[in-house]
Formats: sequence, C-alpha cells, structure tokens
Amino acid sequence: MESRESGDLVKRDLSLKIGEFSSTLGVFKDVEIQVGRILEEWEEPLGPTPFPDITALREWDLKLLSRYKPFYMPFCDLCCLCTFGKCDLTGDKRGACGITMAGQQSRIVLLACCIGASAHTEHARAMLNHLIEEYGRDTPLDVALNTNVEAPHTRLVCGFRPRTLRDLDDALSYVESQIVQLLASTATGQEGNNLDYESKVFHVGMLDHVAMEIADIAQISVLGFPKGEPEAPLADLGFGAIDTSKPMILVIGHEVLPSVEIVNYLMDQGLFGEVEVGGLCCTAHDTARYNKRARIIGPISWELRFIRSGIPDVVVIDKQCVRTDVLLECKKIGSPLIATSEMSCHGLPDRTHDEPDKIVEDLVERRIPGALILDPRKVGEVAVKVAMKIAPRREGVRPLGVEESGELAKRCRHCGECTRACPNNLPIMEAMSLARNGDFTLLSSLYDLCVSCGRCESACPEDLPIVSMINAAASKKIAEERSKIRVGRGAIQDVEIREVGRAIVFGEIPGVLALVGCANYPEGGGDVARIAEEFLKRRFIVVASGCAAMAIGMTKDEEGLSLYEKYPGVFDAGGLVNVGSCISNAHITGAAIKIANIFAKRPLRANYEEIADYIYNRVGAVGVAWGAMSQKAASIAAGCWRLGIPVIVGPHGSKYRRMLLGRREREEDWMVYDARTGERVYIGPAPEHLFYAAETVEEAIVMVAKLTMRPNDTSKGRAVKLSHYIDLYQRYYGEMPPDLHLYVRSNADIPFTMRDQVVAALEKAGWVEGKIASPDPTLLERLIRRRL
Amino acid sequence: MSMFEDIPVGVSIIYEGERIRGREMQVELGGPREQYKFELVQARSLDEVEDGKITIIGPDIPGLKQGTNNPFGLLVEVAGKEVEKDLEGVIERRIHEYLNFIEGFMHLNQRYDIQLRLSKKSYERGLNTFNLIGKVLYRLFKSEMPFIEKIQFTFITDPTAVKEWYEKAMRVYEERDARARGMSDDEVEVFYGCTLCQSFAPTHLCVITPQRYANCGAISWFDGRATAKVDPKGPVFEIPKGALIDPVKGEYEGVNRTIQVKSLGEIQRVQLYTAFGYPHTSCGCFEGVAFYIPEVDGFGLVHRGFKGQTVNGLDFVTLSDLTAGGRQVDGFHGVSIEYMRSPKFLQADGGWSRIVWMPSEIKERVKDFIPTDIVDKIATEKEVANLEGLRSFLKERGHPIVERWIEAKPVEAEAPKEVAAPTLELPPGIVPIQGIPAGMGLKIILKNAKIRAERMIIRVERGK
Repeated sequence: MESRESGDLVKRDLSLKIGEFSSTLGVFKDVEIQVGRILEEWEEPLGPTPFPDITALREWDLKLLSRYKPFYMPFCDLCCLCTFGKCDLTGDKRGACGITMAGQQSRIVLLACCIGASAHTEHARAMLNHLIEEYGRDTPLDVALNTNVEAPHTRLVCGFRPRTLRDLDDALSYVESQIVQLLASTATGQEGNNLDYESKVFHVGMLDHVAMEIADIAQISVLGFPKGEPEAPLADLGFGAIDTSKPMILVIGHEVLPSVEIVNYLMDQGLFGEVEVGGLCCTAHDTARYNKRARIIGPISWELRFIRSGIPDVVVIDKQCVRTDVLLECKKIGSPLIATSEMSCHGLPDRTHDEPDKIVEDLVERRIPGALILDPRKVGEVAVKVAMKIAPRREGVRPLGVEESGELAKRCRHCGECTRACPNNLPIMEAMSLARNGDFTLLSSLYDLCVSCGRCESACPEDLPIVSMINAAASKKIAEERSKIRVGRGAIQDVEIREVGRAIVFGEIPGVLALVGCANYPEGGGDVARIAEEFLKRRFIVVASGCAAMAIGMTKDEEGLSLYEKYPGVFDAGGLVNVGSCISNAHITGAAIKIANIFAKRPLRANYEEIADYIYNRVGAVGVAWGAMSQKAASIAAGCWRLGIPVIVGPHGSKYRRMLLGRREREEDWMVYDARTGERVYIGPAPEHLFYAAETVEEAIVMVAKLTMRPNDTSKGRAVKLSHYIDLYQRYYGEMPPDLHLYVRSNADIPFTMRDQVVAALEKAGWVEGKIASPDPTLLERLIRRRL
Repeated sequence: MSMFEDIPVGVSIIYEGERIRGREMQVELGGPREQYKFELVQARSLDEVEDGKITIIGPDIPGLKQGTNNPFGLLVEVAGKEVEKDLEGVIERRIHEYLNFIEGFMHLNQRYDIQLRLSKKSYERGLNTFNLIGKVLYRLFKSEMPFIEKIQFTFITDPTAVKEWYEKAMRVYEERDARARGMSDDEVEVFYGCTLCQSFAPTHLCVITPQRYANCGAISWFDGRATAKVDPKGPVFEIPKGALIDPVKGEYEGVNRTIQVKSLGEIQRVQLYTAFGYPHTSCGCFEGVAFYIPEVDGFGLVHRGFKGQTVNGLDFVTLSDLTAGGRQVDGFHGVSIEYMRSPKFLQADGGWSRIVWMPSEIKERVKDFIPTDIVDKIATEKEVANLEGLRSFLKERGHPIVERWIEAKPVEAEAPKEVAAPTLELPPGIVPIQGIPAGMGLKIILKNAKIRAERMIIRVERGK
C-alpha cells in the first residue's frame, strides 16, 4: 500500500494504490482509489443556509428593515452613473431608467459597501495566496488559545469549519463570486426596489466579515501574531516614539506582508536595533502584532503630518487608506516611495524582477522617484538598504520651522478659501492672521482639531503649506506625542466568552461597546478616548480596532498613562481589548456570534438567521464608528446590521446617505414572539435604532447606553442598563429621559438607587406595569417551542 | 426628586467599579493592617430596633487622622415579620454592593476581612460623617428589600468596642457557617428554582437546595430564599419539593413537576445527586465540570480557571461545550465549587470515592471536604499527564476505584457474530485530522467516489 501526492494528483486529498486485499466479497488486485476532497463532518448538523445566495436571507433582512425603515438623506440629488443621465431625482421624479431617489440612494450605498467589502476580500486573497505559496495549502489554522470556534463567521455563513489555509480558500471563493453578483445588480436598469438593494447591502456586509475573518486568521496562524492573549504586549505609539537619529522606514496601508519582510530582513542582518520601522494605519497594527518593537505612529490622519516631518527615509505603501498624493509628498522630502501592491502602483516603474541592488542604486541616486515591487521579500531588502543609504545624506532635510511659518503667514490674503475647504470648518484664516504677528497659539491648537486632509492647501491661492505650518506651530506637542498601545490580540477566546456569560445574564456587565473605524474627526483621539473611558469606568466591555484603537491610546492622563495602561486587556467588565487592524473587526462580531453559540449551544453552522435573531434580541452590543473616510466602514457596519448589532456614527454620518431608524411610538413595530408560548407581545423599542448619526460626543454616549437594552434583559440587567442611561441622560440633557416609560417593564426593572425619581417620571408618563413584556424573544416563528 | 438629594456625593451603580488608591484616601477603615474589623447583620425582634437610628461609638470620620487605617466595625440590626435569622448572611452581603455605590467610597471583601476607603475628594465635598453613610445604607436597604421593616446602624471606631464586637461577630459567623453546612435537604420543605440562565439556555432550571448550590456558585439556598422574597415575580422562586422518590439519587415529585413546566416539557425528571440518567441540567455558567472517564470508570473534575488540558486531553472549553446548553448529558455535569463541599456531592455515583483527577488549585480549595482516606488518592495535573499515568497512579495509591475495575472484568462483551465488512486501513497521516480525543471515533463518508479497477475477478471457491 502506498500513498502519493504528486503530478496530476496534486489536487487530490487521497490517492491509494493497493497491491491486493481480500474480503468476503472477493480479492481485489492493483486497486487505485482517488478521492478529490476529504471533508470533515462533525456532530453539529448543517443549518438551513450554507453558502447563502443573495436572496437566502432576504426575509430576515426585510424583518429588520420593516422595523428600521431606511431614512434617506440624499447627498446628491442626481444620478450620473449612465449615459442617459444626469437624471434629477428630487421630489417624486424618476430617472430615465425609472429609478426613484430611494432606489438610487440605496444603490449607491450598495456600491460603497461593495467597494469596502472588495477591499477586504482582495486583501484576504492576496494574503491567502501568498501564505499558501510560501507555507503550503495544508498549513493548519491556529487562531486563539482556549478556543474551539476558530472561525465563527465562516462556520456561520459557509457551514464548514476550516482547518487549513486551503479550507479558507473555499470560503473566500464563495465571497468573491457573491460580490461580483452584488456589483452586477447595480448595473443600470435592474433592481427596482430600494428594500431589495438594502437587503443586498446587508448581504455584502455579511460577506465582508467572512473575508476579514479569513484574512486575519490566516495571518495570525502563520505569522505568529498574538493568539487572543489578553495580556498582549504594550507597544510604543506616536510621533515621539520614533528615534530620529536612526534611519527610518515608514510603512503605510493595510497588508502587512511587505512590512513583515522588512522586519525579517532586519532581523536576519542583525540590524533591527539600528533602523526604525514605524507604521501608519492598519499595517502599523499588524507589524506590531508581528514584532512589538515596530512603532505605531498613528492613524491614517497622521499620514501627511508624518511625511512632512521629513523623518522617513523611505516610504513603503501597500494597499487601502494610502493618500493618492503620497508620491508627491515623498518628493517634497526627497524620500523614495516603494509601492508593493497592484492596488496602488502610483505610476511607478515595475521593478519586481530586477536585482535588489540595482533597484537600490536607482532609488538612492534618484534616477527614479520610486519603484513598484510586487515581491514582499524583495521589498524587505530594498527598503532597508535604501533607508540606510539615504539616511546619512538627508541631514539637511528639516521640516518647516516656526519662524519660516510666521514669514509664510504674511502672504495670507484673507480670502477664507481655506476655511471653506476645511471639512471641519476650522478657523485657519484667523490662525494665519495671528501667526503673522508671531502669535502661534491658535495655529498650534489647530493641530488637535485638524485631520490633515490637506484640502486647505489645494484651495489656497498662495499655495501656503498650511499643514506643515500647523505642524511647525505644534512641534512641541508632536515631540511629546508618545504613549502606549496594547498590541492587537486577535480573537476573543472561547473561555473568555464563557467567563462573561454569567455577568451578562446577571446584568453585571451592561454592554459590549465596539469603537471602530477611522480617526478622521476633529479632536484627534480625544473624542474616542473619552467615549472609551466613560464606558470603561461603567464596567462595559470596550473593544477597539484599527485607527480607533490607536486614537484611544493617544490620549494620556496627567501621569502620562494611556487607557491601555490603566485598564486590562481582558474581554470582561472594565476591560479594554484591542483586537488589531481593520480586518480584526471580524473578531468583534465573531465574539457576539460565539456568545450565542457557546452559551445557548445555538448551532452555528450555516444557521445565520437564528444566530442573528439571538444576538439582536439578547446581546447588548453596540458599535461606534466616529470618524469619516473609508467605504470599508460602511460594509463593516452593514455586517453588523444583519447580525442585529446597532451602529452609531459621528457627525459625518449623514454622508452615508441613509439611516436605519426605529419609530419608537409605533407599538406595532415592536412586537416579538415569545418562544415559550408563541404569543406575540410588545417589548418596547429595544434597540431603538440600527444605524444612527450622532451630532455630538455627548449624544453618542447617551445613545450607546440606550442601545444596549434588549428585550431579553433580566430585571437586574435592565435596571443596570437603565441606571447608566438615566445617569448619562441627566448629565448631558439635565432631565429624566422622556422615553423612560418605554423601557421599564416591571417594578423590578427600576434601578433601586433611583427609585423615587423613576417612579415619579413613570407616573407622569402614565406608565402601567406589565404592558411591556419580558418574553423569550424571537422574530422567527419557527423558533417557537410550544407548551405541552 | 433624587433619593439622595441631601447626600453631598453621587450614589449610583455607576460608581461600583471605582478604586481609591492609597494617596487619594482620606481614611481607611479595617484593611489588611488592622487586626480588628468586621461587619455584621443581626435579626432582632421588632421592638428591639428603632427604624433609621444611626449610632457612632468612637470618633466620627473627622476624628480619624488623614491617611491612616483604623479599627472598624459596622453592626446592622434588622427586624420585620419576614426577616429570619437565616437571611442575615444574605442581607449582610448587600453592604458591599451598597457602599460601593457611594462616589468616592470603596468597600472590599466581607465579614472579618473588610477594607473600606473614603476618598479625600468626597470627604472635602462633605461626606464627612458616618451619619451620611448610614442614611445611604438605610435608603438602599429599604428600597431594595422592602421586607425589612426596621433597620438601625452602629458604626464603631473605638478600638476596645471594635475588639469586643469582633469577638462576638466571629462566633456568629461560625454558628452561621455551621448551620449552613449542617443543614440538609431533608429538613426543608421548599427548594428554590432559578431560571435566570434561560436567557442563554432555554431549557435549564437550577434547583437550589441547602446541599446543592446553584451551578454558577453565586446562589445558595439562603440567597434563593431572600431573592424570592424581594421579587416574588422574578426568576428565583420556591419549588415545593413534594414527595421523595429516590433518596440516594435525589429525586422529588415537586422538582420533576417544576422542571417539566419550566423546560416546556423538554426535561421530564431530574435527579439531583448524580451525573447519569436524569442529571441536573447544565446552563453555561457553571463553575466546574464533573466529567466521566470511561477508561478508569471514574470522574475528573475541572474548573473554569484551569487553562491546561485535563487528564483525558480535553480542556475546560471543550468539556464545557459537551456539557452546556440546558441538556442532560450522561457523564458531563456542570457543578459549582460549593457543591463539591456538600455531603450529597455526586452521592449516587459514589461521591468522592469516584473522583480520580482534579486540578491542584481546586483540590487545595476543597481539600477539607474530601474524605481523608481518599484525598491523597486523587491525582492532579502535577502527578499525572495522561490516562496511562492516571491508571498507574490510582493503582499505586490504592484508590477505591481500582476495586471497580476488578469487579467489572468478568463481564466481557461477546464478540459480534456478523462477518466483518471489508475494511481498508488508511496509511497514517493521510487524513488531515489530528488530535481526536479518546472516546471519540471517526466516520468517513465518500461522496461521488469512483473506484476504478482494471480487472475484477470473481472466483467460486469450494468449501466456503
């Protein structure tokens, strides 16, 4: 008997050749058995929706969308996607293809979400292909300690449990084909119903979380990232963490492979202590997950700032969230740019197949401004060599000084174009007026409010380098910008999920708050750190990822400690968990899925609707994406909506074009089945909204507390949640919440530290005990378990 | 109108997680550096208690030097028609929760081990007398536990008085513990049911008896009694235990009736002291698991905090997956740590003489409750790493389980008569599945498998 795996059989799992074997049936000679694929069955039965197509979960979507009717806020009244157009869609006008405003808005939302999901899917594909090529398709997955449910999204959506990299390939191929279909549906002259577009939005959101999961668990397994360790190491964060006396390589973007090879090359050559590697955006997170000595400089909004500082000797970009003018900026400081992904080539010559030393020479001698190198290993060698050769020659390059800024400010014409161009309407013109007279206080204070988009510079008729001038005025702050962040730990362990279960059941943990998304909002990290601390003190579980996780770490207390140093990294009350980069967001929703699976033993496998129904009615999780920018945030949010997790966005939220708002006064909207009796009962508006834009931090904080309420809350749990909601509402609005009576079901729900005032408010509102039920809630008729 | 309008600092659940560090504190009461400290609740008759009265024996807060630790005692006397001696402990544990609701006030531990801190900030804002603390406690007790008709508080800082009361309190704790541990399921008429976990495990009901704590380890029979009094419509309720069906297994008519209703008919019978047949269901928040190890015919125990692999190669996560969900699973049984201290612990299965392995940490915690002739015969992760090692350990130490092996031997299963189907042995390593735990098998299904043979020869053979 022999087995082999070669030649034309390379795609087979099993190939047997048996010389002879005998049985009661007969004797078999020279038998060959080939099996194309060995699939692993397990005790969990296959649920109703393996590899769901576009309409498989449509009914569930429509249930949610009837409660949270999309509220459209057209960002643009026209459709200009086809050659019929432009078509004016205002009022009840229809376009040449017959589309309505609602249809067009939902179609644009779908397009945006497809862009976002494609970015993660492409990321996953590139990562997976590379890792399979380097390490082999049968490389086993090893995601987190004390964990059996290694891939909650893949199990839930696809219906199998992945064991190797190749298994992930199966799930990813499914995601890719679905996204193509979804994109196809946006072609002119097709879908006629906005709710169907919205259902497709949910679908692409769901796919996005599968793609993110694939990308992250692949890299965790192979690259040795922390495996769900609550005490993942602390890394340096901020501008000031960089040792400017060393050659410096700046990495920007999302896909960590080139950065990993830079670190590997440095280690192999014994140079790691001599060269600084610092990152911006999610690549920074993942590089620090690979090696905690890599510096995390900051979120995406630090890109212009940091390049303008003149510190980087070479800039390496990969994909997503890279400024499209990065080459221009690199030229300004005389540092070469290395592009490493087909996603962003920036017009650079393709040097993938050239000798590294030849590329290095061309870059150092400035024969070319940069190079496209689509081989991570080669990038590692070239980037290090270039940085070391360029650094000594760059002595002269210094960022703009304060005095120069003062001189430049004298050229300001007071036209006000800068302020008009500023997304946050900052008083740039006033700051210039003061600066020309030597008063830099206002200009310096803009540093904290500015997102460094650079739109002011483009608008300035004098071409003043406004961002650099702000940097110059704030140079002292910048030098002090140094703090600690906990390295992204990846998944939440199964054992942690079980640990918090009791506290959630008993109401000791009022909710799970996820702070995600970009950091492009005024006040830099301040806002998000403030939200985080408010809820950490209240013993919520606070989870963060991507640029939001960095923003949280940038705020320090009077002793210079960041929240990561003050709160433990456990997934437990008062814990602050950094899961990692953008793609690590899958672990946050994955934790919600695991709560349903691990406690109630709700089967996970291809059982999306039931799990979503469970999370929606029982798990008090809320997401907050405070900053503007990427379409990826839109698709991540969409994946939360389908799971029944409400999302709050910042003041830029109207630009998402539509909200999903509940109408609390419509009692008929807030009915569920009591799974124990089959009765339809009124449960009050919990959670009230699925997608909500808050105008201020205070509004967001109050809304987080409110949206953690769920119909399944026990009395103790509801009382705890109400305590937080009432306390916060009173603090920011100065009165009792006007909708309090919609959330108190029985006297036992009343927080006993507030009994008198709550009772008075309820009396005033004409509250009657027992009108709001506390059932075993479900929206799915099939889950009713009838009484014998 | 807020209930705490006249209190100079906030009083709310939102202050619960507050920690007051040494240099932020005005004063510490009790704490590790003080020998004498206590808090004690005593049930009295109605005429012995003056409702709302606050007494201070010794200096009030301003009389205690800033930054120092001090002997401290808090005596709470309660009365009411529903107030029973048995509820003292439950009422007493509320002090911890309530004091932590006060902004700038921290309370740790309980009984003779308490540590309280008042922050400088709150002191400066006017929280400067025990009278205010007493007022807060008064209102919170009355608001949450309306069955308390009268309640009075005595704050003691005078060292002699603290010492004197401390000794009394220690006697009360001892009596209370002796009573709680000595109380048996036979001597009460009602048990308590808890359906809190149904939000996660819809068919689960915890039956809480004097000798079987709730699986989560958080609710004793006394707690159940108090909770049911506070919120009669709530998730904790009385179960009239009804007629005793089986004293060894612990089956009661009333319990069966209740579980049938509460599980919507999914569970018909429950036997409280066994892990086989009709065991008590397991929610998802049990503190530990008792798991059957067929290879030695005994049980292993593991608790949530144990991060390694148990003796049969499975970790806590895997074992709890096999156990959880409100089901009755033979040989996988969710338990509390306190239940391990009960004389009824797995009584029908042989109790401690059936336990063969447990993590050393948990063994240390319950050591005093394991029969002395068994305690050294139970292996931990420090002595054995696998089943083979366990077998020899048990034999070597003469664990009573070994006798069961000898008894079991003669009953050898008869070999199956049918002719074995043709089997095909796969070369090792070809199936990419590793780590199949003992006691679990593999089933392989070939779909659309085509077996191609170049020639098939069918030959008739004589004599067969």
